[in-house]
Amino acid sequence: LSSLPLQMLLYINGVYYIFYFLATLAMIMYKSQVFSYPDDFLAPDLAVLFLMAVLEVPRLYLGFKGNLTEAEAPLGLSLGLTVGSMVLCVYLLLWQTYVLWADVLLNAVLLSAYGLESGLKVTAIAAFVS
Amino acid sequence: PTDAPDAAQARARSAPAPVTDVAKLCVCDLLVAQCDVNCCCDPDCSADDFSLFTTCSVPVVTGDSQLCSQKAAVYSLDVEANPPERIFKLIDQVNPSIFCIHATNYKQALYLKSPEIPTPENFDQLLDKFGGASFSAEPDSWNLDTDAQNPPDANETYRYEYGVPVQTEDAFLRLPSPVVSSWCSDANPAGFLVNQATKCIRSVSVEKCDSIQALSMLFYINSSILAVTDIKSVFQVNITVQSIVVQSLNGMRTLLNSSDVLRLPMVLDELCINAVLGVNYHITHTDTGEIIEAAAAFVLGAISKEALSIEQSFEISFTQENTQPVPLSGNPGYVVGLPVRAGFRPQGYPFPAGFVFASSNKHNQLTILQSTSTQDCLEAQGTRAPVLFGYNMISGCKLRITAAMKCQPLAQTLLDVLKGQSFPEYVASFGNSQAQDVLDWVPITQLHISEQMISNTLQSSCQIPVSLGIEVKWTKYGSLANPQARIVNVTATTTTTTLKQLPSGRERIIPITSSVVFTDISSPAEPGYKAWPTINIKLPFDFFYPFV
Repeated sequence: LSSLPLQMLLYINGVYYIFYFLATLAMIMYKSQVFSYPDDFLAPDLAVLFLMAVLEVPRLYLGFKGNLTEAEAPLGLSLGLTVGSMVLCVYLLLWQTYVLWADVLLNAVLLSAYGLESGLKVTAIAAFVS
Repeated sequence: PTDAPDAAQARARSAPAPVTDVAKLCVCDLLVAQCDVNCCCDPDCSADDFSLFTTCSVPVVTGDSQLCSQKAAVYSLDVEANPPERIFKLIDQVNPSIFCIHATNYKQALYLKSPEIPTPENFDQLLDKFGGASFSAEPDSWNLDTDAQNPPDANETYRYEYGVPVQTEDAFLRLPSPVVSSWCSDANPAGFLVNQATKCIRSVSVEKCDSIQALSMLFYINSSILAVTDIKSVFQVNITVQSIVVQSLNGMRTLLNSSDVLRLPMVLDELCINAVLGVNYHITHTDTGEIIEAAAAFVLGAISKEALSIEQSFEISFTQENTQPVPLSGNPGYVVGLPVRAGFRPQGYPFPAGFVFASSNKHNQLTILQSTSTQDCLEAQGTRAPVLFGYNMISGCKLRITAAMKCQPLAQTLLDVLKGQSFPEYVASFGNSQAQDVLDWVPITQLHISEQMISNTLQSSCQIPVSLGIEVKWTKYGSLANPQARIVNVTATTTTTTLKQLPSGRERIIPITSSVVFTDISSPAEPGYKAWPTINIKLPFDFFYPFV
């Protein structure tokens, strides 16, 4: 059977991610105006944010598809993409040029959501395989 | 945080490292090893000093307040206690905003940028960037624009302009001149197209004659002149020696035949010979401001043992290539003190399309008799003084008449003495009159007056000229604000007297005079109106509107 918590979490994750992306982008723009933010420090931060956004779409799609069709392959792929997104999230949490308190909150929430999702995906894969 | 040995090394290479510990920062600690008043964070203050303070000028020292949590040093005075004491607290200050900085991975984020320490390698680049009156945050893009504009301007700005010092390969062409006192100063540069003549005194001694640089010819010709003002230019003009005149101790000058040999000062028989007494530079230039030739004419002389100083004279003149310099006496009106120009109209030329040629005086000037030291008229050979505009002159000589002198040759000789070999017929009316414009030249009116001796009859006796008076009438011409002097009329009056026959053995001395007088005949200026002012009263067109 499809995992209901995973489905709910994926859905909430999708909505939250839209908010997270807009908020982080706005905060990067705020930081570049208020603080001294040279171009060679700004570029990696923006690149990581956009890369994460690009990864999020297939990740969520594969997650939905895998969970609803009870197929482990898409779910496994989604798990891999989740690990990548987690790494990028950790970068934004720890190694950004300026880490504001709001950044810490947003990234911590996203990281915990990713972690929970990964756990649920592993369980679901285990259920589907057997 | 800074370590002591690291700090010393760092200071040698760069600016001292900034202090970041709030407990050690104190902005009111200005006096070294002394207690600043009301400065609670000053480490030089003792408890006794604190008891005298009234307040703390710096109550709190913190880092950047945008950090979420930071250390702060709080200083306060406890006035209740007796004696008052200072309280120092190190607390954590928290920024409650959600946008406070939690962490930064960018070292220079919260500190001011340390400026680059200039080293020989980066000095030029720093000077380019920060050496001007203003500097922008984007130096590279600005540099591109200015480089593109420079090449078209380069050629124009490198030409010499009037007054610009003439440059040589190491410095400027020197024209020693007196500054403040009469002593020579070698720091006077010669200006382009500025004709100068200076005289100054230099202290010398015969013993050090060959070591004093300013006495040697080399000093004046060793550096070559740059043809244009660009220092990087390869076009250089060597100063050639045009002529050398050697002056002996009694003042007699001889022109040397060969001017190729460089004659350096040396000591000979207690005299210092070949010392430079005068230099005359002649610079030839093109009409676009490039120097193409430079020549120097030297006057070398001898310095005796007793002389402690000599007078040196220097002159520089500029001539445009392929032209003959004609000295003008004013432009257009005559300038007071400049010679009056005069000339002839050659025979056979119809008036007015004639040409006025120069007189035999090579400077084309009107001349007057110049007295000699012996004041004997018959010895006055050759030198005549030019008539300077505006300067009334009188000169004369004494004529010794003996019985043996014949009248007619004497009269002719005296006429030559008074008027010179070729007395001009025309005088230039303006200082810059050209020879082609005949109407700009005023003819000299010749008058003869004979002084009559009462007892003698007129015709039979012989008349000899005894005085020549030249009267130059001039007027002010042109605008009221800048009137120019213009010669209108020149009259040369020769006064003759009869020569009485002397009994043999006797001799008489007659004074012969020659004078020049300038008279201003300008009419007083009248202000002129273009038209008389009219009173313009007219009723407006529609004054009677309803009725007309």
